[in-house]
Amino acid sequence: MSIAVLLKQVPDTTAKISISGNRVDENSVSKWSMSPYDEYALEAALKLKESGGGNVVAISAGPARCEKLLRDAAAVGADDLIHIMNDDINNLDSRQLQKLLAAAISKSNSSIVLCGKQAADTNSGSTGPGVAEILGASCMTMVSEVISDGDSYLATRPSASGHEKVSVSAPCVFAFDKGITEMRRPNVRGIMMAKKKQIEVFSATDLGVELGASNVTINSHSPPPEKPPGQRFEGADSVSTVVAKLRDEANVI
Amino acid sequence: MPYEALDFYDVDSLLTEEERMVRDMVRDFVDKEVIPKIEHACRDGVFPDEWRVALGEMMVLGAPLKGYGCPGLSYTAYGVICRELERGDSGLRSFASVQGSLAMYPIWDFGSEEQKEYYLPKMASGEWVGCFGLTEPDYGSNPGDMITKAEDMGDHYLLNGAKMWITNGTIAQVAIVWAKLDGVIRGFIVEKDDPGFSAPEMKGKHSLKASVTSELVFQDCKIPKNRILPGVKGLRGPFSCLNNARFGISWGAVGAAQACFDSSKDYALSRIQFTHPIASYQLVQNKLSWMLREITKAQLLAYHLGQKKDAGTWIPEHISLAKMNNVDIALEIARVARDIHGANGILDEYCIMRHMANLESVKTYEGTHDIHNLILGRHITGIQAFTRDL
Repeated sequence: MSIAVLLKQVPDTTAKISISGNRVDENSVSKWSMSPYDEYALEAALKLKESGGGNVVAISAGPARCEKLLRDAAAVGADDLIHIMNDDINNLDSRQLQKLLAAAISKSNSSIVLCGKQAADTNSGSTGPGVAEILGASCMTMVSEVISDGDSYLATRPSASGHEKVSVSAPCVFAFDKGITEMRRPNVRGIMMAKKKQIEVFSATDLGVELGASNVTINSHSPPPEKPPGQRFEGADSVSTVVAKLRDEANVI
Repeated sequence: MPYEALDFYDVDSLLTEEERMVRDMVRDFVDKEVIPKIEHACRDGVFPDEWRVALGEMMVLGAPLKGYGCPGLSYTAYGVICRELERGDSGLRSFASVQGSLAMYPIWDFGSEEQKEYYLPKMASGEWVGCFGLTEPDYGSNPGDMITKAEDMGDHYLLNGAKMWITNGTIAQVAIVWAKLDGVIRGFIVEKDDPGFSAPEMKGKHSLKASVTSELVFQDCKIPKNRILPGVKGLRGPFSCLNNARFGISWGAVGAAQACFDSSKDYALSRIQFTHPIASYQLVQNKLSWMLREITKAQLLAYHLGQKKDAGTWIPEHISLAKMNNVDIALEIARVARDIHGANGILDEYCIMRHMANLESVKTYEGTHDIHNLILGRHITGIQAFTRDL
């Protein structure tokens, strides 16, 4: 049995983002990392493998730089690596991307799929449910933990009154919120094995996917507005003004 | 602010992908498990045991050694590991240097097959800690005149003497001890519970506070005959170990310097005096650009030495130059960083004063700064200036 994990490479959350020609300038991104929610999904997949066996198949769509992400996944224990090569990933709409991912999942013979609830760059949150729709699989969102429970799986997710544990059978897609444990650190043995691991590289054609035209066009990206400058007050005379502002404008007291 | 490692010439792009993955692994460990705990560890004067466990789990101990459960990485990778560890703290890097280069290496290079199979896997995993006993209270730069001696008693050896300034001593299960047997320096493996052996901790350090430093005392210490290292005689034994440790230090010092630079840059940009950030003043910019200049040179020195180590085209004098230079500039950078941080530089809210105090030890241990100059002086002139008849 295979467990698929969908991993997206995103600008590191500490990297500076700059805009050029109305779009995020990818060339200026100093560091690319695994999207944090995907890390939780990968850790959960590795735990599932440890408790119930199976192969963890890491799948990523994107340009050549994604090889590093897949090798990082292999270093912590992913068994098989699938790279859907696409140089223009940001110009695909969610549906096109989901078709590619679903086709790769089918190729990997995985009956359960783990992914992050949203990517740290686009934040669209549509990959898990969209892939499940194409695969005809159930979908659980906002999952923090999955354990295998006989023939089915038990997923923990938030409910109105706390947490609920939901039993679900395969095929199922689990979209992860912050999990209960951070992704493990690799070790030297894992890194050495990752270096040798074969990566299966597929194009849309290899996967038999007819992408069609994108239904969505991003007109422009813009940086968040700059924070207004802070206000400075000096001396005891300003206390009443500051208190009034904290009470009436900031609503913190 | 997250740590940003200064790499002005993009020297790390010359590393292999594997070496960069190892770097990221160790850097992540330092960010998450060392930086948040280091000041506490220093105040308490302890080496947190979970760091030993984590180093073993990451499989970075004895990094360049091959076989017997050792990682088998390149020397360059070993250097990178030292650099990332010392960015956290010199005491942490010292632990790894001593374990890998000073305790595992002599067993790996000079030990019997049985010794290698018995000790190395346990030490690579971090289960057993090793230490290295060469320096004595009265013999530091001049270890050849050591007085610790071993006697062949027929069915065992008897060790007598004392070693000092021994990193990891009190927490070690294994000590590699250099002692004179019939006037010739030989290496012996001493275990924690051997009769007549004790390793009291030295207290009161203002430097390397998160590292254990000990004395090793041998009073009719009885060890089995199979604990002598069969493969080496004379000072070549301990000096081979020191070459590897010093190589690691030349990289490690870069990490400490990078940490001081990173903190200085952030501080200078955020500290306002006379209504402007102090980073906007020429005197501060001059300090920062000097740091950048020296760190960049030190990085290139360390990287090229790593390549020479891996290619086997190095001589000990190459290592002397890199150890001496890189520790020297790291210490000076820490001092200038303290200047930039003003009074804040003395607080443990910043890493500066800790690195500065640590580097004072690093400048002296593993061949003092001056002795490395004499090694180079001898190389240049052919005349040794360590000693003379007075």
